[in-house]
Amino acid sequence: QLVSALHNLTRHVVYRGLTRAEDILCLFPENFHQNLKNLLTKIILENISAWRNEAQASKISLPRLVDMDWRVDIKTSSDSIVRMAVPTCLLQLKIQEDAALCGNNPVVSALTVELSKETLDTMLEGLGRIRDQLSAVANK
Amino acid sequence: SQQFSALTEVLFRFLTEPKEVERFLTQLSDFATMNKISLGPLKNIVKSILLVPNGALKRNLSPEQVRADFIALGLSEEKASYFAEQWKVNSPTLTRLAVGQTLMINQLIDMEWKFGVTAGSSELEKVGSIFLQLKLVIKKGSQLENVYVELTLPQFYSFLHEMERVKTSLESFS
Repeated sequence: QLVSALHNLTRHVVYRGLTRAEDILCLFPENFHQNLKNLLTKIILENISAWRNEAQASKISLPRLVDMDWRVDIKTSSDSIVRMAVPTCLLQLKIQEDAALCGNNPVVSALTVELSKETLDTMLEGLGRIRDQLSAVANK
Repeated sequence: SQQFSALTEVLFRFLTEPKEVERFLTQLSDFATMNKISLGPLKNIVKSILLVPNGALKRNLSPEQVRADFIALGLSEEKASYFAEQWKVNSPTLTRLAVGQTLMINQLIDMEWKFGVTAGSSELEKVGSIFLQLKLVIKKGSQLENVYVELTLPQFYSFLHEMERVKTSLESFS
């Protein structure tokens, strides 16, 4: 019962985004032990930003990008053409599934994607447009 | 020799657009009717003729080598030269097609995106963070698969930076 009450208290503080000692202190009932009240408030304040970040990180979302690696290969030969020198890009994305669904063991999968030079150019055009849109929003 | 150039034209049109099989067969049978040849033997001849450009493409043969091959197979010099000329003109397209047919692993076909702003969640009353949602369309074997991935803004800028580095790398090898 005690743990449950503490849990509710901390959740409430995080949810409401309370950051000042006075706001937290007034949550306690009137005849609550003074020193304990101050101690709890102090501990909560110390942990509040860590808890907030964690809550923010674990909200429902699409799979998230965790890491990304790339490599450029030169294709020298294939069954359709014996000699060539075609550069190509291999991109590996490490993607973590929705944290809320996986509990404590989120599944991270690695996806390797191949891009030709043309595809990369088109992708960069798209990424450039995203950057422009972001700047437009930031400058408003 | 007018016949030969017409036939060559039909052949190269097919080679540069290998998906147009119906059209190729129609043009062949038109050719047969116009020149009063029966279609069966014509098809066999065409099959043998097509072996030369296909082999030449695989082995990156020059137009001179293609011409020499045809002469060795018994074609007249005039016709072999004509074919070799056509080969020279069409080989950039044909090479690009052959490279395009080369194996690609999980080829990226398309990319879509949208922005989102988280306004609230069950954990936090007010949030307000921007994130980018990407949808990648990937060809796995013969099927297309959609992959959804979310990036924070710092991740996006890092991704953009890395992709620009890839572009520089690819360009230095072209």
